[in-house]
Amino acid sequence: MREFEINLEQLSPDVTMIHVAGWLDAHTFEYMEQTINNLFDEGKVRLAVDLSNVEYISSAGAGVFIGTLSSSHERGGDIVLLNPTEPVKEVFDMLGLSQVFKFATTPKEALAQLKK
Amino acid sequence: MTESRLTDRLEVAAHTRNLALVREFLHNAIKRSALPPSDANKVVLAVDEAVANTMQHGYEGKEPGTVEVIVDADSERFTVRIRDSGHSFDTAAGSVEKVTMDLQKHVAAGNKRGLGLFIMRRVMDEVSYRSREGERNELTLTKYIKRPG
Repeated sequence: MREFEINLEQLSPDVTMIHVAGWLDAHTFEYMEQTINNLFDEGKVRLAVDLSNVEYISSAGAGVFIGTLSSSHERGGDIVLLNPTEPVKEVFDMLGLSQVFKFATTPKEALAQLKK
Repeated sequence: MTESRLTDRLEVAAHTRNLALVREFLHNAIKRSALPPSDANKVVLAVDEAVANTMQHGYEGKEPGTVEVIVDADSERFTVRIRDSGHSFDTAAGSVEKVTMDLQKHVAAGNKRGLGLFIMRRVMDEVSYRSREGERNELTLTKYIKRPG
């Protein structure tokens, strides 16, 4: 089982896709946070995050997205989450995040959401 | 087997790299208990939140220590005790206000604080904390299998 892995993909000239895999917990969330901060520093503020391979998320991991949402808006960007797994959905529902974030099931749909 | 009493114990260094070990230990204990599988992920999450809090903040400015996770379960309840020798922090206190806060407003404002505590209180039926001079701090989380009464 992978502990944690992040891969970046340029989905369009101004949209970056972050593929996340493994456990997003109090140990790994800082890598995720750092990755996003680095993208913001590069001016990449429109983000699509692929959660289809995240096996576990705790409040520390969810907190990264909460912080990212407001930071991206402040920079004129936005964030869309793709295909969260059941354990991730369960935590998002519990924390009321399912109503706060935009979700997509395909990269095309994510791009459309980020153009709004 | 599932009707008998189950006890198990894990002690790890108070470092977040050990959270995965704690979760694995809990999943294994839950499989041997009467706790319904539908509650497994939630209970593991609640305990992970509590242990992570201790690992991240319990030993700040102190010599690194350990965290003990003790499972005690029977046909009526699944109890987890989390013990440490770090700073005393009453996780159970103030929890009512955390549960009733407007969570959506809280997170929409970019506020991440208090989410772990919210999860603990939301998932578990009892949360209590004990800190006594000369003894390890102890946070007890209980999930009912059969509700009392």
